[in-house]
Amino acid sequence: MIESPTATAWYVYGVVAADARPPDAVRLIEHDGLAAIAREVPLAEFGEDVLPLRLNDREWLEANVLAHEDVLHAFLDTGVVPLRFGAIYRDTREVERMLEARSAFFRSALVRLRGHVELGVKAWLVTPADPPASSSPAVGGRAYLERRRDQLTAARERVERATVIVADAHRRLLEVAVDGVVNRPQPPELTGRSDEMVMNAAYLVRRGDEAVARTLARLAPSSVDEGVEFELTGPWPPYNFVPADEEASR
Amino acid sequence: MSVIEQPRLEHEVTLVELVDRVLNKGVVLTGDIMLSVAGVDLVYVGLRVLLTSVSALEEQR
Repeated sequence: MIESPTATAWYVYGVVAADARPPDAVRLIEHDGLAAIAREVPLAEFGEDVLPLRLNDREWLEANVLAHEDVLHAFLDTGVVPLRFGAIYRDTREVERMLEARSAFFRSALVRLRGHVELGVKAWLVTPADPPASSSPAVGGRAYLERRRDQLTAARERVERATVIVADAHRRLLEVAVDGVVNRPQPPELTGRSDEMVMNAAYLVRRGDEAVARTLARLAPSSVDEGVEFELTGPWPPYNFVPADEEASR
Repeated sequence: MSVIEQPRLEHEVTLVELVDRVLNKGVVLTGDIMLSVAGVDLVYVGLRVLLTSVSALEEQR
């Protein structure tokens, strides 16, 4: 179908209770106590024929991923069910139909997520500085091999200790959080750090709850001694804690 | 030690962190949305774009 250059569609960021107050950039499309956070977008930019190209445009992707986060962030205090990027509807009537069809799912999700935010916790295995070159003179082949073997053993032991530290941290964080998930660590090509990421987790907590930060602060001194550094990010909209639901995900 | 206590790091997050969440998490609605890329692995697309940009940055160094 040929779209007119001014044709628009509705991009939906997330779902909130209908009494939430939206920021200026978006509007709420309400249906029976629920509301979709939506923005009217040009099909010239978000139409199915052009979107795949846009997704390969770093600047476009960056701006729109940031916008998605910004919009959801404005609802942190009231509670929001985040949608994944790219839920685009032809008109507001279709958005209402979606809310109606998934009413039970969104209602129960809001009950669970209202007043809650997500915190990100990562841990890094910080590479120790290379030990000073051995001062022993005239290192023979055998001495070299022994030293190399010792280095490898030390590296393996560091990883093993880090694994224990991270597992212990996750267990303690689960005790103070409502829920938690462990995601795959991001590779160094993406993080841009030479240190290895050894934990990439997210926790659901009540908005304003500082228990996760306190727990990490308590663990920090002994972990740092073992080369493990924790990093806390957030608060985030609860992206990692939307309930699994066949009806909503199919 | 990089635990942020107060004030919170409200928005200073890395793009990777954002992409990891926005493209990979959240409720996935398909069926009634008009977007045909709904089935596309968005996180793969996003990360590929990021990887390209990371290597481009490195080439600039």
